[in-house]
Amino acid sequence: MSDPMVRFEKVTKRYGALTVLDQLNLDIARNEKVAIIGPSGSGKTTVLRMLMTLERINGGVIWVDGEPLTHMEKNGQLVPANERHLRRVRGKIGMVFQHFNLFPHMTALANCMEAPKSVLGLPKAEAEARAAELLEMVGLSDKKNHYPIQMSGGQKQRVAIARALAMRPKVMLFDEVTSALDPELVGEVLNVIRKLGTEHDLTMLIVTHQMGFAKEFSDRVCFFYDGKIAEQGPPDKLFNDPANERTRQFLSAVLEAG
Amino acid sequence: MNEFALGFSVAALFTGVTVTLLVTLGASLVAIALGLAVGLIRVSRLAPLRWMAVAYIEFFRGTSMLVQLYWWFFVLPIFGLVMTPWTVAIVGVGMNVSGYGAELVRAAIQSVDRGQYEASIALNFSRSTMMRRIVLPQAIRGMLPPWGNLLIELLKGTSLIFFITITELTTAAKLAADATGNYLLFFAIALFGYYLIARALITPLVRWLERRFSRGFVREVPA
Repeated sequence: MSDPMVRFEKVTKRYGALTVLDQLNLDIARNEKVAIIGPSGSGKTTVLRMLMTLERINGGVIWVDGEPLTHMEKNGQLVPANERHLRRVRGKIGMVFQHFNLFPHMTALANCMEAPKSVLGLPKAEAEARAAELLEMVGLSDKKNHYPIQMSGGQKQRVAIARALAMRPKVMLFDEVTSALDPELVGEVLNVIRKLGTEHDLTMLIVTHQMGFAKEFSDRVCFFYDGKIAEQGPPDKLFNDPANERTRQFLSAVLEAG
Repeated sequence: MNEFALGFSVAALFTGVTVTLLVTLGASLVAIALGLAVGLIRVSRLAPLRWMAVAYIEFFRGTSMLVQLYWWFFVLPIFGLVMTPWTVAIVGVGMNVSGYGAELVRAAIQSVDRGQYEASIALNFSRSTMMRRIVLPQAIRGMLPPWGNLLIELLKGTSLIFFITITELTTAAKLAADATGNYLLFFAIALFGYYLIARALITPLVRWLERRFSRGFVREVPA
């Protein structure tokens, strides 16, 4: 694959003596939709958190859109990135969290306007127009003046998606975005993600426990086990004919649970 | 109780209440401003700044307010720094209380959910914007009740400025009681005087601010 959108190059992450990710190599093409599955503790969420720079890495380099994210070039060498470099490259990435993390003191509209205004420097009218348009896309025009506490989990998560998109990222990360939702609200959030996938030029990384969604939505599925990619491939192959014994065990356990 | 003593007593009490109110107001502003500043520095990412904030807090919180006032008033002039009793009262009481205030500010900032910081990073906020727009508006809500406590403490603590020559409410009550011999009446007035100031001014102000900063934290019909 030439010129990937995201490249993990021998990335290692440790917490103390525990190695969460061990020399991870992973390339993600432009506009590719990658689902990341695996048991808890396998390092799948850590992959997203490192890419969002919420976690520092202990080894290797992460590249985004052709330039290093975790490092910067200095005298022809890669040195750890400073805050300024991080902020510039990080701007290409957006993230949606399991627990929404909406700003509770702001309305849905204000949640979506704040970063475009204070980070991108958009004039208020422009930020508001952009926020309103995105709230409409996620089907929440009528809730724009509501505070997060006045919304359901599914609505909150859709606002969080609109908020991330308002920064016009090239890469979107979804970290178990339906895990905190009541079952009947999962569909409305997945529908928004589906729509994003078909209507926007976005590279998407999705950590999920929704196997049906991963199968139908993604171009590629990565199964993480014990800090490594144990198996990856097209969803049809991985779900219907897994090559790895661990994958088989995991899938049968998950499918049995329903 | 003769008329002269009564007139003197009423005048003294009136002055005393005014002085207590003004010093409380001035020292509160100093305490809030410095408490916020030092509390923010206390959670800075730069270690030397944090150490300076810790030293400030340790000094003003850990030593006696009266001794601090004596230092401002009697010791600093030895080094050529002379301040009026009013300046010493407002700055001295305010700085003492700001040591406690800084810790309230730090506790409130640190109690803001980690997810808020993570969302701020994901949206690429600078650290100062994150503090100003996301963290502080939520932290202020949590720090208001303890600030209410602290300002009531400050109000009552202002009686110590008697020792740097200022006649405030407690002093005035003592003078009036001495002049008239009616200790029951005037110390009852002093007792309720402090309570009334706290109840009529500080508590309503804090409650009003709590309501203002609670938008989005309690369910209500959207405007």
